Amino acid sequence: MIRTGRVARTVERLAQAHASRMAAAVIAVVIAFLWIPIGVLVFMSFADGGVLSFPPDELTLRWYRVFLSNDAAMDAIVTTLTISVPATAISVLLSTMIAYAVNRYVFPGRSWLQLLATLPIIVPLVVTGISMVLFFNGTLGLSGYVSVVIAHVVRTIPFATLVILPTFLTFDRGLEEASKDLGADELRTFRQVTLPNIFPGIVAGGLLAFTLSFNEFVYTYFVKGSGDPTLPVYIWNQIRYNVTPEVNVISVVFLVLAVSMVLVAVSLTRVELLARR
Amino acid sequence: MAEPSGAAGEPGSDEPANRSADGTGDRMAALTSFFRERPRLRTLAVAGPPYGVLILFFAIPLLAMLVVSFQTGEIGGPWTLSNYTNFLSSETYLSVVWKTLVISVQVTAIVVVVGYALAYSIVRFSRRTTLLLLLVILPFWTSYIIRMYAWINILQSDGVLDSTLNMLGLPAVSLLYSEPAVLIGFTYVWLPLAVLPFYASLTNLDGDLIEASKDLGAGPIRTFTSVTLPMTINGVVTGVILVFIPTFGSFITPRLLGGTNNIMIGMVIENQFKSAFNWPFGAAIGMVISVVVVALLILGTRLGGGLFETGGEGA
Repeated sequence: MIRTGRVARTVERLAQAHASRMAAAVIAVVIAFLWIPIGVLVFMSFADGGVLSFPPDELTLRWYRVFLSNDAAMDAIVTTLTISVPATAISVLLSTMIAYAVNRYVFPGRSWLQLLATLPIIVPLVVTGISMVLFFNGTLGLSGYVSVVIAHVVRTIPFATLVILPTFLTFDRGLEEASKDLGADELRTFRQVTLPNIFPGIVAGGLLAFTLSFNEFVYTYFVKGSGDPTLPVYIWNQIRYNVTPEVNVISVVFLVLAVSMVLVAVSLTRVELLARR
Repeated sequence: MAEPSGAAGEPGSDEPANRSADGTGDRMAALTSFFRERPRLRTLAVAGPPYGVLILFFAIPLLAMLVVSFQTGEIGGPWTLSNYTNFLSSETYLSVVWKTLVISVQVTAIVVVVGYALAYSIVRFSRRTTLLLLLVILPFWTSYIIRMYAWINILQSDGVLDSTLNMLGLPAVSLLYSEPAVLIGFTYVWLPLAVLPFYASLTNLDGDLIEASKDLGAGPIRTFTSVTLPMTINGVVTGVILVFIPTFGSFITPRLLGGTNNIMIGMVIENQFKSAFNWPFGAAIGMVISVVVVALLILGTRLGGGLFETGGEGA
């Protein structure tokens, strides 16, 4: 099937002799590619000079002070939180219900529920974004804040479900049976046996949902109308119309938030769970 | 459909079965036995609310977009096909679709090759799997716009890349607002996401199969093409879908890194909703994207299974 030419033979010999070294090189290069831009952002947030000149003349904390005294940026953070916190709570509740229903009950439309809970990842954000504007603003007449929260719930459900669902699968159902045999009803069993066991998964799902919601841009951009900008929308406007080094500082805020959230989430579950589809 | 269940389910989940307060306990017992005797209602109480939310706020809006795409000028206008005919008869728009397709294919190819090589290296040759996987996916959880902004810092003229080249005595390239910049930007955002399915399918691959193939005299290339790749093809197809579809619909990356020569279809939609205010036309373009996406999904599921079987026969 495969013509083993001289080139192929050379490649094979190289692969056999240096496989682990090549693998280490691939890992090193790709991880450098992924982290150098982030390192550049952090470094540039301390740059004194004007906008985006590299290398900077001097290092300073000036832009952090500017950021902290910038009311528009602070308002954007508050706006984002007033959206992300309720959206995360609703999303985690609904995702837990999906995971429970899919795992414990057999009902017509079960696979459709799973599909519906996965599709928002696959449909391009811009398509869902405009369809939400058309339906929320055009048909339902929903205003900015409510429609943005709903959009964030739809955006985060797939990821929260992805994290919560496996914790139901790995948890020993014999414990639930035992609880029911001892006379507890389903609700009591859920509260006292199931919930404590799946709780790490729920917290991890919630943290990832919150991170995603805090970063959410496309849905918000289309749905929010004349509402107050969230932090990502604020940055978008900054980058498109007037870049100041302050954006670097905001980037660091985003980074610290994302890294700490994800690390806590991962410590609660296993990193492999994120790789499972 | 979720209303009766929602009303009955909510007080139950909020109030614990309290044994000390007899009244509450009785009511709870009555409620739970009520649900126990009606398994269908119980299922509806749990599955109904999320089902309802996803249908009302995700599925129906997509249908609304389909309806609006056949209306003229504004929502509720008279029915027409003109949004589609205008789009499909315009050479400008068709060339934008072509450009979008070309960029998406290139990005997908780059991400699949690099991501697969990375996942393979991690799974087969590394012991610190968890740490490495974490280093790969962490950037994915930071803001998309921030990640694009990082590349503006690097690629603009006199940016980090040019300054570094300058220090090495090499000529500046000033890549910002070019097609390579768009490709780099997309590769950067999708690589972490694509590595996950590659990693998952490679972990599930039994390492003994590779040893067996080598013992039977196959070289690394033969082993890869007739054992490793066919056995992990589902992961590859998933990766392709996860990269191609969002790239095809993207407007942020081409807007921030591509300049005026790299218009993609997502930007045209954004324009209809943010400055031209022709929502039905924007909805029609949204439908065009959806058709491409659905076609790819169907192709993907077919291809995943098909390739897997051919691989099985060959081995």
